[in-house]
Amino acid sequence: MEFKYIAILTGLCLLAFLLYKETHRFNKARLIWRILANIIAVSCFVLLIVPIRYKTSRPQNTDEVILITQGTHPDSTTNLKGKKYALSSANPKNTNVITIPDLPYFLKSNPNIRKLKLYGYGLNKAELAQLKGYRVSFHPAANPTGIIAANWPGKLKTTEVWQVQGTYQNSGMEPVKLLFKGLGKTVDSIEIGAKSSQPFSFKTTPKHTGKAVYELVSLQKTDTLAKEPVPMQVGDETPMKVLIMASFPDFEYKFLKNWLYQNQYPVAFRSQISKNKYAFDFLNLDSLNLTRINSSSLKKFDILIIDEEELAAISPDERSSIALAVKNGLGLLIRVANLKSSTTLGSRFSRFESPALKGKLLNLKLTEDNSKLTALPIEQGLFLKPEYTDKPLIVDASGKTLVNSNIDGYGKVLASTLSSTFHWLLSGKKNDYAAYWSALLASAARKRNNVLTVDIFPQFPAINQKMKIIADLAASGQVPILKIDSILLSPRQNMVLPFQWDAFYWPQKPGWTYLEVNQNVEPIYIYKKTDWQVLKNQQKLDETHQFIKNLNTTETKSKVADVVLEEKVSIWWFFIGFLLAAVFLWYEARILAG
Amino acid sequence: MLNTEDRNWITNLRIKWISFYLIGMVSIALATALVLSFICVYPLHYSPWLFAIIFPVVLGILLYIKPIWRTTDQDITRFLNNRYPELEESADLLLQNEAELSLLQQLQRSKIENIIPKLAQPKEPLKKLYAGLLILLAGLLISFAITQIPLRDNDSLKDREKANQIQPIKENIPAEISDFSAIVIPPPYTGKAERNQKQFTITAETGAQIDWKIETNIGIKKLSLIFNNTEIIPLKALNKAHTRWTVSKTISKSGFYQLDLDGKKSDLYQIEAIPDLAVTIKIIQPKQHTTIDIGQPQKINLKVLLTDDYGINDAFISATMASGKGEGVSFTEKKLSFDTNFGSRKTIALAKLIDLKNLGMKPGDELYFFIKAMDNHGQSSRSDVYFVSIVDTTELMSLAGMTNGVNLVPEYFRSERQIIIDTEKLLKEQSSIPVQTFKNKSNEIGIDQKLLRLRYGQFLGEENETEIGGDHDDHDGHTEHKAEGEKFGDVTSIMDKYAHKHDIAEDATFFEPEIKAQLKAVLTEMWNAELRLRTYKPQEALPYEYKALRLLKDLQQKSRAYVAKTTVKTAALKPEKRLSGELDKITQPVQKMTFEQKEKRIATLKIALARLESRKIGRKFTEQDQFLLNQTGKYLIGAAADHPATYLTALSSLRKLSTGNKLIINDIDLVQRAIQKMIGPEGAKPQMQNAGAASALYQSYFKNLNKTD
Repeated sequence: MEFKYIAILTGLCLLAFLLYKETHRFNKARLIWRILANIIAVSCFVLLIVPIRYKTSRPQNTDEVILITQGTHPDSTTNLKGKKYALSSANPKNTNVITIPDLPYFLKSNPNIRKLKLYGYGLNKAELAQLKGYRVSFHPAANPTGIIAANWPGKLKTTEVWQVQGTYQNSGMEPVKLLFKGLGKTVDSIEIGAKSSQPFSFKTTPKHTGKAVYELVSLQKTDTLAKEPVPMQVGDETPMKVLIMASFPDFEYKFLKNWLYQNQYPVAFRSQISKNKYAFDFLNLDSLNLTRINSSSLKKFDILIIDEEELAAISPDERSSIALAVKNGLGLLIRVANLKSSTTLGSRFSRFESPALKGKLLNLKLTEDNSKLTALPIEQGLFLKPEYTDKPLIVDASGKTLVNSNIDGYGKVLASTLSSTFHWLLSGKKNDYAAYWSALLASAARKRNNVLTVDIFPQFPAINQKMKIIADLAASGQVPILKIDSILLSPRQNMVLPFQWDAFYWPQKPGWTYLEVNQNVEPIYIYKKTDWQVLKNQQKLDETHQFIKNLNTTETKSKVADVVLEEKVSIWWFFIGFLLAAVFLWYEARILAG
Repeated sequence: MLNTEDRNWITNLRIKWISFYLIGMVSIALATALVLSFICVYPLHYSPWLFAIIFPVVLGILLYIKPIWRTTDQDITRFLNNRYPELEESADLLLQNEAELSLLQQLQRSKIENIIPKLAQPKEPLKKLYAGLLILLAGLLISFAITQIPLRDNDSLKDREKANQIQPIKENIPAEISDFSAIVIPPPYTGKAERNQKQFTITAETGAQIDWKIETNIGIKKLSLIFNNTEIIPLKALNKAHTRWTVSKTISKSGFYQLDLDGKKSDLYQIEAIPDLAVTIKIIQPKQHTTIDIGQPQKINLKVLLTDDYGINDAFISATMASGKGEGVSFTEKKLSFDTNFGSRKTIALAKLIDLKNLGMKPGDELYFFIKAMDNHGQSSRSDVYFVSIVDTTELMSLAGMTNGVNLVPEYFRSERQIIIDTEKLLKEQSSIPVQTFKNKSNEIGIDQKLLRLRYGQFLGEENETEIGGDHDDHDGHTEHKAEGEKFGDVTSIMDKYAHKHDIAEDATFFEPEIKAQLKAVLTEMWNAELRLRTYKPQEALPYEYKALRLLKDLQQKSRAYVAKTTVKTAALKPEKRLSGELDKITQPVQKMTFEQKEKRIATLKIALARLESRKIGRKFTEQDQFLLNQTGKYLIGAAADHPATYLTALSSLRKLSTGNKLIINDIDLVQRAIQKMIGPEGAKPQMQNAGAASALYQSYFKNLNKTD
């Protein structure tokens, strides 16, 4: 410090002396220039001895890496400085990029890397999990154009309606037409406007039995943008067994019985003809003793249709066995005709009367899918009052409930005040009759227990990609035998749910493949790597965004203070300044003055 | 010698004369017959054999008119005498026996003997010949023109047909066939010309005959057509080399066919039969139900529009009259014809005035009629039945309805009837009373009519300006109100005092809308009647009065319900005995049935659909699949025979698929579409819901749900 001031003082003295000399010089020409040159020369000289230092704060200078992932536009990375790496999936075009075959391995082998700059669609969940503790910044690519979400039931029963739903994101400037194709024809289509994202929902009733692959084709004018497979299968199931108990035979029962019979449903029909005397019909079914109902005979049926009078007329132990069977899963449909209920099962549904409109048709609606049925020419006065625990199935145009349902134990109880649906059959509206009774019976009937349910992760298992198979088995305890492509897998039992087993597999062939679990065969569709690419990319984008969001919140706490650096201005600048000033003084004295 | 020479000359002339004349006549006959038969054959579509009849007939007529063969030598000499003055009227001398001639005659004869050979041949026969030939030429030209006119018509028809036809379908024709044609000869009733086509796909009218002519480039042993995969028709070889073949068949329904060349089968070709539709009948006038009121003319004007696709042959009205009442109803049927010539036109607008009186209809009778029409193919069609009834006034005037039932408002009805009786009486007296009295009386009846109208108006809640009838009651009401109205603070009574009440809302809702509408109609009729009465035209008012009465009667009938009286006495029930009978001998009826699915069609088609789907991914067909495809093919053949246009291409695609190893997605798509169309729309079926496999856990959860309380 001392030295600095001494130097400055001597410098000032020297300057004063020099200035005095200059002013007293005989030759007064270019005096100002000379004074200036003197000042510069002296000050530069002093600064040569005492260099200027200053402080700067600089961000921590760690090793930074640019990571190019799939979807990165090639032009956007060419101007970037720094080391560029690319995942092999990104398929980099420019040569000055180093390809990384495996990200975790690369990160482990380069421990000095602390910071990552992600370009493109980002990484998937598994890869992102490896990046914990790194500083990651994300420069996402533009939103991809295509289907970014889709879902559909993979298994269907005959005549069931199949619904395929999803979202299409169109980032382009032109509208896109999305076609839903299958079994040789276009089922439905939708147009998605430019720069918009639109949900779609396609409905169809597949007519085949077995497996089929539908397609979602996106078209821009005549160019096909993408073709995504939508695999599904339709299976025939054993029909439900129906027991009908009537206090007296009426048309409603007669038509229902015949309709079920013609559709090959096993039906047992009992109607009272006198005290303890019944008439029996066994349709598509072996005869059994139904004079007295007990729990074992009820076990043979999936649904019981009974009118309230009959329910009140049967013996109390029959009633209690019905109640028990319902708790164990039997479906019960009670036909209600009176305002007051006469049984406990019937009293679960409160009713009210509303004056019937004369000469008006009764318009009915299925609450399930809001589909309307053809109006019935009947005057309906009795309605049901649904409680908050109930689920109405059929309502009229003004929203009054006609068929109501609620849960009793494992089973379901339905009540219907409609007494003459056969009008539909009489007027030739077969489909309405079928829709009505299908809705009622399907929602009431006992649920069939699957022997096996299989879940696959991810949603779109592709070839050469890890696939997780989760199998729920009815019988727990034994290790199941899982086979796929005739390769034996080693299942792992769930720690909490003993009936759940999972296994991993890397499929090799695209298309349908068969998973064998014990003796059961379950078809699984394996996608090509290019299928549903847009959806996968969008998932990556979303996951990476989410990851960055979570990262930023945790990072603020452990933010490292920046390093403060002291820097000195290079003395060469001052030397140059001194030299120039000195040269001027010399040149002026020798040449200009001389 | 000279003599014989002259004789010969004359005979020659005669022969020449006769023959030239005959040729000319034949040509004329030919020309006439040609023109006539062309007219018959072309526009009228008779058989060309007609010519064979027309020609001899015409020739016969001509020969009868002019029996040229009877020309004798005398005729010739007479002609020569006329024609050549040189002969000095003595040519006939040449024909006479020389010995019988007088000297002078002989001199004359020898004189002309020398002249005759020098005479120029007369030009008349030649002229006749030329004239005949000219007429023949003209006849030919005319008949050619006749063929041209309908041809042009046909051309435009063909153009239309071409426009209707979808552009020619590309067909795969076996390589062996070098040339072929199919001639479609539509049945005569269509009036269409036959057409020749170079296409195996055939669209023809039902009943049309198709002639196939096929030429092959190599000799083929057997060539046959297979229709709908069942019927095999062999073709006839026309030459020994077995390269030209022909066959003809009448098409009665749609279907398809293929060629079989020595066992090698061709593609499938479609046959579409266009059926002949029956005549459509549209009755423009009258309405389906017509009522003729008294005073209206007892006539109906019938207007009908008939249309058919080829031509209408006949149409008539079938009318049935019903007269009498109850058990005494009698029916008479009549066939009324339209007095027009139908002439196979495609559309005809017909009109006929039916005079009901002429048919013998009386008031109270009803006429039911419909129109029956036949097209030129003999198909008949009929219209709806239309009703015309004449109102019976005596029925209206009868008191039968009044005496035996509820009578809502008797005096009103009596009034309307009274007005009618009064009007009729007035009309009867018209001639005997002074004009002024007549007018006054008419006016009085008009006032009565008005009063009646106003009273009915009350039912509808109309404003009753003069308070007729209700007037008295109202007053009573008011006085009562006044008496009570002294009550302090009774707002309604105070309001009643100052308010002028118009419509009474309660009255307005007293009747159902339907009755109200009819009441309104009654009022309109009454108003019309009143207008006529007040303007001293009781005769004109009468129909309106009757109509009003009729409507009122209807109203009266509507508001009445009949309950038949019965006299059945039932024994009193003993409640304690009910349901206590012995039932142990009664057996319980048990019925057992199993529904047999007669056809596996739908199930097969559904599986085939899925199998085709897996073929798309590349799985080849196994033997079992081939069997499945065979079954599907059978069903498809059945469908294609009925609707070749929809299913034929699919059928050929399916055959291609089952034989070929190449994967053609388009063919699969085509077959899949066809199968889906064959399955048709399906109704929903109740299906059981599935629960997860390991449901023991869930089940116990649900079972325990209710245990909380």
